[in-house]
Amino acid sequence: MLSLSARPILSAFLPKPKPRRLLLLLRPRRSSASASALTPPTPRTTTPDPPEDADPTPLFLRPPTHPVPEASLAAFRRRAAALVPPSAPHLHRHLRWLLADASAPAPSGADPAAPHLLRAPLDELEALWLRHVRDRRPFQYVVGNEHWKDLVVAVRDGVLIPRPETETVVDMVAAVEGFQDGWWADLGTGSGAIAVAVARMLGPGGRVFATDVSEVAVEVARLNVQRYGVQDKVEIRRGSWFEPLEDVKGKLMGVISNPPYIPTDDLPGLQPEVGWHEPKLALDGGKDGLDHLLHLCEGLSSALMPGGFFVFETNGNKQSEFLVDFISTKWSSSFCDVEAVLDFADIKRFVRGYRR
Amino acid sequence: MASRLITRSTAAVLLSHLRSRTPNPTHHLLTHGAAMSSLLGPTHGLPATARSRPLLEPTRWFSSPAPVVEAPRTVDGLTVDSIADKGWTILAEAESDWRSHAAAVAQSIRLIKKRLKWKWLLERSKQLAVVLEKPDLWEDPVFAGNVSREQGELMGKIKSVNQFEQQLMEHIDMLRLAREEGDNELETESMRALADMRRDAKEKELNALLSGDNDVYPCFIEVQAGAGGVESMDWAAMVMNMYRSWAQRRGYRVTIIEEIPGELAGIKRATIKVDGEYAFGYAKSEIGVHRLVRISPFDSGKRRHTSFAAVAVIPILGEASSRYQINESDLRIERFRSGGPGGQHANTTESAVRIVHIPTGTTATCQNERSQHMNRASAMAVLQSRLDQLEITRQAQMNAEHTQSLSEISWGNQIRSYVLQPYRMVKDLRTNYEVSDPDSVLEGDLDDFILSFLSLSLDKVDESV
Repeated sequence: MLSLSARPILSAFLPKPKPRRLLLLLRPRRSSASASALTPPTPRTTTPDPPEDADPTPLFLRPPTHPVPEASLAAFRRRAAALVPPSAPHLHRHLRWLLADASAPAPSGADPAAPHLLRAPLDELEALWLRHVRDRRPFQYVVGNEHWKDLVVAVRDGVLIPRPETETVVDMVAAVEGFQDGWWADLGTGSGAIAVAVARMLGPGGRVFATDVSEVAVEVARLNVQRYGVQDKVEIRRGSWFEPLEDVKGKLMGVISNPPYIPTDDLPGLQPEVGWHEPKLALDGGKDGLDHLLHLCEGLSSALMPGGFFVFETNGNKQSEFLVDFISTKWSSSFCDVEAVLDFADIKRFVRGYRR
Repeated sequence: MASRLITRSTAAVLLSHLRSRTPNPTHHLLTHGAAMSSLLGPTHGLPATARSRPLLEPTRWFSSPAPVVEAPRTVDGLTVDSIADKGWTILAEAESDWRSHAAAVAQSIRLIKKRLKWKWLLERSKQLAVVLEKPDLWEDPVFAGNVSREQGELMGKIKSVNQFEQQLMEHIDMLRLAREEGDNELETESMRALADMRRDAKEKELNALLSGDNDVYPCFIEVQAGAGGVESMDWAAMVMNMYRSWAQRRGYRVTIIEEIPGELAGIKRATIKVDGEYAFGYAKSEIGVHRLVRISPFDSGKRRHTSFAAVAVIPILGEASSRYQINESDLRIERFRSGGPGGQHANTTESAVRIVHIPTGTTATCQNERSQHMNRASAMAVLQSRLDQLEITRQAQMNAEHTQSLSEISWGNQIRSYVLQPYRMVKDLRTNYEVSDPDSVLEGDLDDFILSFLSLSLDKVDESV
């Protein structure tokens, strides 16, 4: 219990560990060829994902129809906190946020003695909390959202939770000259976080085509598009990568994607929140993690208009360096200014460039 | 309320009536003088305290060449100071004795003036008036704006005290007149008005404690554990809890900005934001080092430990005031790194943001909001306040008046001692105020400590400075 949560926050700001981490990353993986010969260990699904919530609506969007007396709520808070060691401040924060998301906003001047209105019965909250603390179900699935950039993005089981690193992608789009009135494609949009964030910056002529092969993702992305009222800017199309975009081929100002990029062999070692609960479809990048990234690169030159921009998120230094090298050698006549871009942890997280 | 309005409006008529009948020529002259000078308005000239006993020196008083403002006085020449000096017994509020009421109010007015640094206030407002007369003042609109704003605030304070004095004198006159005329109704009315004033005065006394420049603003409270490991980290957490419940008791809104937990228990450091009127005015009394003595629950040998926690309080200035201008390019923004490969590998709700202001080395961290976006905004607010604070300190150092009061509440001084074993006591080392129930203090019952410190630090200031 202690080990899962003891996470010294200060170390986040210490410059020291960085070089070591880089070294670890750079250390050549021992012959990846032989790795494939091994039986790919089955992902640890020993704690299978619990059945979907009876109600697919994210908790924070459900109507607050369950009155709960203050005393019961306080008792729940105590019970829930007792499951968490004091050295796990993030879990205490989660508890606070869970209650905030599960409660109706108290109207000003309300009677303090009046019962709280919750968005789920107390015993359901208790079950949700247990699954978070014991089964390591991601907190974002518990409350049904992730606070990402200035958005509250709805998420649920079956769709990738947007990562903070990915926020940078939106900033890179905003740095492209004339981006406001272009057509953009967000391939494998998942929750639709990137599509919505980009759409909110666009001008009257701008559009985002967001594709995803997953039905759940398409549903959740639709919800987020609606919640932020960008229906007239974002068109969601179900299908794999470029497939649903035949009609806009060669007209796109930009292609953005955060495709699955984790090498299959690394999946079993993932943090439980990710490995046990997030969709493999959104994580598994094949043997080297490059399957989908390479496929995207192949399709780029026909999808982008001349001068068009692309940015992909990658697994880190190794993949980024490989892709930069690959694109600039293989398609040197098609692309220019191809480069790797660092994330806030100084890892080469993105590859971006322009079509000639 | 309505009756008081009537009382006040009729006062002038009654006064002139009374004056014409006054047999004593001295009284007549004095009254005349008072009436004349009151036409000049209450704000120019020397402070009332300059003439604490004018009755004894009527000639000097009349021969003064400068336009003088008189302290409001009754028809027979009583002033706030003369009343306060008379030493009339102050009885309980329920007693219908006008002398007692008047004496209580007069004492309060004296205290209020002292707390407002009355002499300094008048002097300062006179200086500002001179500055405001300068024809080229508005060539520097920022400076001009600051001066006229400050002057406005000073005049507001002066006027409100003068009006209060005036009101006291009118009620006294009214009451005596009512007695003379045998008007029972008017007498009861005036007596009640005096009693009301007495209650008002107590409130004004408290308000005058919070008359500092930034007192009205919300603030950040930061608690930092001293050396000594888990015991002092636990102590820091106790201190932080004390402030959180204190703030909640006062009806302030508390937001956690930053919290760095200790490895085993407690906190290394934490910052909260306290939102509400006069949050800084009260909380600034807590700046300094707090000491705990107890048998440590973390010591298997059950030995007594002494630990320390340092408390800093920073005002969050309003938009109106001149704030430190932050240059975006002077900032370095660092974000939380989960370590490891990051990206899709990691799921974390940590989104701490640290901002460094490179020229001053000032930093601010926020990790308690749910997104980097919000944490950044929050950290910027903290940074802004820290830089404002630096600016205030810098300006205060140029102003001797302020330096003195600032040094009393500077970071690093041990201000309070909390002893849980072998005996139980909380004692403020500045005021010597103490209580024998540490639990209630640690649960946020701090107001008495704060008020006694505020009154001591303001009331001991030597008026002659």
